[in-house]
Amino acid sequence: MTASPTPSHSGTLYQPGASFLHRLHPLTKLTFSLCALVVIFSGPGGWLSALLPGLLALSLLWRAGLGRLAARLSFRLLAWLAVIMFGIHGFFGPDNQTILFNLGPLEVGQEGIEFAFLITIRLAAMLLVSLTLVLTTHPSHLVQALTEFGLPGGLAYLLGSPLLLLPQMVVRAQAIHAVQQARGLETQGNLLQRMRALFPLVAPLVFSTLVDVEERSLALEVRGFSAPTRKTFLNELVDTRSQRLARRGLIALSIVTFLLGVGWRLYASS
Amino acid sequence: MSLKEQLKKDFSTITLALMAVGIVLNLVLGQTVSLLKLPIFLDSIGTVIVALLAGPWAGGLTGLLSNLIWGMISDPVAAAFAPVAMIIGIVAGLCAKYGLFKAWWQAVISGVLITLALSLVAIPIRVYMFGGVTGSGADFVTAYLLATGQSLFSSVITTVIGNNLVDKIVTALLAWGIVKGLPKRFTSRFSRADKVTG
Amino acid sequence: MPALDVSGLTYTYPGSSVPALKNVSFQAESGQLLAIVGPNEAGKSTLSLALAGLIPALFHGEMLGRVAVCGLDTRDHSPGDFAGRVGLVLQNPVNQLSGMRYTVYDEVAFGLENLGIPRIEMPGRIEQALVQVGLVDLRHRSPYTLSGGQQQRLALASVLVMSPSVLILDETTAMLDPQGRQEIFGVVQSLAQTGVTVIIVEHHLEWIARHANRVLALENGEVILDGPPDQVLTSARLRKNGVGWLRYTRVAALGQSRSLWPANRGLPVTLKETAAGFRSNGQE
Repeated sequence: MTASPTPSHSGTLYQPGASFLHRLHPLTKLTFSLCALVVIFSGPGGWLSALLPGLLALSLLWRAGLGRLAARLSFRLLAWLAVIMFGIHGFFGPDNQTILFNLGPLEVGQEGIEFAFLITIRLAAMLLVSLTLVLTTHPSHLVQALTEFGLPGGLAYLLGSPLLLLPQMVVRAQAIHAVQQARGLETQGNLLQRMRALFPLVAPLVFSTLVDVEERSLALEVRGFSAPTRKTFLNELVDTRSQRLARRGLIALSIVTFLLGVGWRLYASS
Repeated sequence: MSLKEQLKKDFSTITLALMAVGIVLNLVLGQTVSLLKLPIFLDSIGTVIVALLAGPWAGGLTGLLSNLIWGMISDPVAAAFAPVAMIIGIVAGLCAKYGLFKAWWQAVISGVLITLALSLVAIPIRVYMFGGVTGSGADFVTAYLLATGQSLFSSVITTVIGNNLVDKIVTALLAWGIVKGLPKRFTSRFSRADKVTG
Repeated sequence: MPALDVSGLTYTYPGSSVPALKNVSFQAESGQLLAIVGPNEAGKSTLSLALAGLIPALFHGEMLGRVAVCGLDTRDHSPGDFAGRVGLVLQNPVNQLSGMRYTVYDEVAFGLENLGIPRIEMPGRIEQALVQVGLVDLRHRSPYTLSGGQQQRLALASVLVMSPSVLILDETTAMLDPQGRQEIFGVVQSLAQTGVTVIIVEHHLEWIARHANRVLALENGEVILDGPPDQVLTSARLRKNGVGWLRYTRVAALGQSRSLWPANRGLPVTLKETAAGFRSNGQE
């Protein structure tokens, strides 16, 4: 994996609240996000197809009182990427032909800037659209909604349990790091020393967590985890007729936009 | 054995518990290792361990979900690379299935194969979704190659392979060593482990 | 019908040539509090898993003999069938948590949800289980912020809510501090009165001596002793095999060798018996 994510171990991005976005059924928000992603990457008109869903997502978040947070998060995640994007494609874009202006010895090409603009708008829209779901949906509600929709219990476990496991494991990793450093493990030295530090840092964490796997699985078994009965849920997720209709509408809309996008591309390239 | 039975065997409760731990290992070790400032991320070691113990499907799913979950809790950009993480698990599992994880030098070969396979998926995502840029140090390599007149596609190919080769070989070696070191009583709970432990 | 019926149970783990359990036979009546003692690797955990219906289903080993729990043969039923009939609590508190629920209350509900219990039935049962283990006040807390003892009580509540007729505790107190251990013991003592059959694998002999109806001693996979606590816990075999003797038994044995303990009196396992024995020496 090459994208290097920002560390945030305090938990998920979920913000507790009671806005209209919070009260929507998780599947409604998931459908909106997925359909919007389809439009962003395949709709007609290039950057316009990305801008509109992005602005829609931002205004929804704004009305839910989360606009400021969403904008800040997007900026933090994208600013650096955008700088490099415009730099690389502006200066070295392989399709650059029209020279906009010169910056010292380097030429800035219009095609590269346009390309960088398109990609940045798309990524920003993608982020904002996912944030409408992620910021306003408790992870366990999303997992429950998917399970009620028909997701197998095993997959629900795989989506849900890592979120609660992660903070514990971070603590354990930090403890191992502290112990190994106290024993004189060199984690700051030259390349060879740092390479040698790899195994002592990694192996204890891996072994100790793998040892727990059996006990975890047995504890699940005795609580009926693999019982063939249809599961019920303590908490009820409120769904409405209008939301069910809206979800179908969103899916239909994204299919239409996708087809329009295909047509537009065929037309544009001919 | 029918597909359904095979799936049931491949996804027993203990396998699911292993996969959950594998997902978290991916996320945590990526952070731990970044402290060492090595050209290694180790953020797919959990995926490869699961693939060696429980097969290609379990490995692939572990990779896929690792990135989706990372997208949910921290950085939605990571979710875009979920298919790459899935390929890593599938190919590692296939290498193990066909006996390419029995000795250390085989693990090295598997690391190379994993890199080649993941590149097939990573390159299009990087080029078409991200314009070849992901915000990591590797972008400067891409920039340099573009400046020398290469196409975006070939610049990204060089960057992705160069960036992943060492990491995936080290990951494969570590995973192989760890699985070899696990007690027999534990590995016997997983249907595929005997392909590695012999 | 006995709650547990084990006959000729021999079990070998895959890849092992030595059986973990050899020809184990015993029955337990409902409402009994049966303690299992033995040195490390004696087969206690294997027996717990077999009694919980998880062996042979989940382990690909070789099993001979028969285990019936609440009349169900463990060979013919899957772990899902035993959930709700048998409860099992293991050693490590954090590992007992489902990893799926964010509050104590929801964690207890997890088992009911898996069994498909109707939503309206849940609150009453959860409430009752939380009362049983004394966690009502912590119902809104995250399970991950509890102490080890509280987490183990939560694990107990999480299986008790499924109203099992057999409860198995496999070294449940081993990782707890004395306070946490007493919390668990308190719950187990009160349970015995409700008619639940309790099987407890435990190193704390003093508690076993006071509260168990019966003790089973294992060594190398075999049952070497089976009887009331004052017989089993004073056996010379336990003293040698690593389980050891209670301090009361040791003191009385020392007294016996110096004629300070009545010759016709068995060795004691509680403080009360010890005091009475020394007091009566020479008077009988």
